[in-house]
Amino acid sequence: MNCKFVPSVCSYCGTGCGVLFEVIDGKINSTLPLKSHPVNQGKLCIKGWSLHEYINSYMRLKAPLVKENGHFQKATWDEAITHAAKNFNRIKETHGPDAIGVLVSAKVTNEENYLAQKLARAAIGTNNVDHCARL
Amino acid sequence: MNITKQVEQLLKQGDVDIFLAYRELDGHLIPHGYTLDNLEDLENLKVSQHRYSLEKVATHLTEKKPNLKIGIVARDCNQRALNLLYTWNQLSPENITPLMVNCCPSQTRNHSDCTYLEPKKTGTFKQKKGIDFNENPREFMDNNDNGQRFSRWMYEFSKCIKCYGCRNICPVCFCTDCSLENPDLVEPGALPPEIPIFHLVRATHMAGRCIDCGLCEDACPAEIPLRFLYREMNRIVSDVFDYTPGAGLEKSPFTIIGNEVTLEPRPMDA
Repeated sequence: MNCKFVPSVCSYCGTGCGVLFEVIDGKINSTLPLKSHPVNQGKLCIKGWSLHEYINSYMRLKAPLVKENGHFQKATWDEAITHAAKNFNRIKETHGPDAIGVLVSAKVTNEENYLAQKLARAAIGTNNVDHCARL
Repeated sequence: MNITKQVEQLLKQGDVDIFLAYRELDGHLIPHGYTLDNLEDLENLKVSQHRYSLEKVATHLTEKKPNLKIGIVARDCNQRALNLLYTWNQLSPENITPLMVNCCPSQTRNHSDCTYLEPKKTGTFKQKKGIDFNENPREFMDNNDNGQRFSRWMYEFSKCIKCYGCRNICPVCFCTDCSLENPDLVEPGALPPEIPIFHLVRATHMAGRCIDCGLCEDACPAEIPLRFLYREMNRIVSDVFDYTPGAGLEKSPFTIIGNEVTLEPRPMDA
């Protein structure tokens, strides 16, 4: 039986609270606030306290799904990405690049957000970039 | 003998299967379970000034493997929590080996390792509208009439964001069915939660349970003076039952299942 604690950052919003996962035998058992973290100083909201519930949820998506004939089918990453790229290209060619918008998130890192806007502006060719935290 | 050597000996002699202490990781002092499989981690063993509820971790481990022998680095508050968990049959004393470490400064110990010994600071607005963390309960009762006390508590409770942090971090909260999640007692989906009942439900459940470790107050994002509330709750328990939770292995007067109730029913203020 082993028990370790893994520090991490809460993935729910852009605040960036420090959390600590209690891992028993390789499975996350509960979430604690990281006391020495400068952002949340040992406090969390209800979502942070419940992080382990969605990690262990049976409803969690572990493989990409592609909708075929109105039903979601399990696919590999290669298939899913090819499918998405093909259809984005089709939309861009038929309706122009501004028919596509990119929504990014406060939950991901600055670097990932940067890459997403780069994809939107440089690869797709649209300025339609927005994110969930712009309320 | 220093603590690292002691833990190594306990593990090697098979006195404990796992030892719960702290280690330094990425600049944070966090809890860690030391076992024979990760003896090399022992060189990072620390006694943290940050305090986590290691005894709660021990109850989680015991849930998974009831006969697991667990060692715990313990301060006075951890020891009180362990005593309480023994009396409520959540842990068994034969399976737990506490290693006592420095806590309160005294004549014999000139330094302390716990951040909780520093009194919390209260801002001026909170002093005016709410409750000072460090106020003497007697003075609080004398300086405020019924209405003022009620409005001060309601101000504090109204800040609640219902994070359940006080319950989640509490070393002595172990019920599988929590009253705070019972829709008949506390209406779900409302913020702030139904006050003052939400906090009073928890306060009544802390009677005879709370070991005054201060973890709830520390985890509260709304700075509600929970310690004040539960201390006063347990002053009543102490007056009526002459019982201090966690002080020893004496059975709690609140474990009434199977016992004949000897108390006479009477009004609260009699």
